[in-house]
Amino acid sequence: MVNGSKKSRSQRRVTVKTPGNRIVTHYRKRKPSHTVCGTCSAKLNGVPRDIPSVIGKMNKSQRVPSRPFGGNLCTRCTRREIIARSQ
Amino acid sequence: MEKGQVCVKLAGRDAGNKCVIVEVIDKNFVTVDGGVRRKRCNIDHLYPINLKLDIKSGSHEEIAAAFKAQNLMVWETKPKEQKPKPIPKRVEKSKPKPKKAADKKTAKKSTKKADKKSEEKPAKVEAKPAAKETKKEE
Repeated sequence: MVNGSKKSRSQRRVTVKTPGNRIVTHYRKRKPSHTVCGTCSAKLNGVPRDIPSVIGKMNKSQRVPSRPFGGNLCTRCTRREIIARSQ
Repeated sequence: MEKGQVCVKLAGRDAGNKCVIVEVIDKNFVTVDGGVRRKRCNIDHLYPINLKLDIKSGSHEEIAAAFKAQNLMVWETKPKEQKPKPIPKRVEKSKPKPKKAADKKTAKKSTKKADKKSEEKPAKVEAKPAAKETKKEE
């Protein structure tokens, strides 16, 4: 039998094909929730969804759009914000 | 959208910066310059504001002067520093190695190869001063 803690669904299960051609279940940490726009709470594109240890290995440009408010606001809200500030 | 219209960029890494239309390419695209990188831009990504500039030649210098007169930020790119390439020192590395190998072989083996020795020795003498000369030149 598997370890008792693995029978609960606190960890996510990933099926992996091993080099010996067996199909095995691996137990990994669950991913955090999607990054969301600060005003309209839409899911943000261009922001990876993974555990911090993986995101920490990525380049700065891979973590967040290089536009102002990138990673905080969606494109629609960014436009609205910029137009409001220019006036 | 006309030449000389000042706009705010809404998309891309220059979003939020002000720019001028330098050239109208077609009904969808224009060339912009000023507070942004000088490049082609879709009209949908520009928000026109209540300001127009008189632009004649459309060169970057002219636009930069006009922007500074209006107290607007100007985008300036730094020219890249060109470093001189290091000269490869192949002459010094490659020549001494085969000499050593030749010395060992000739020392062990019989007198038949004595002829080869005599051939190689003058070659060494020639090679060494050549290497020294290259050092002096550097």
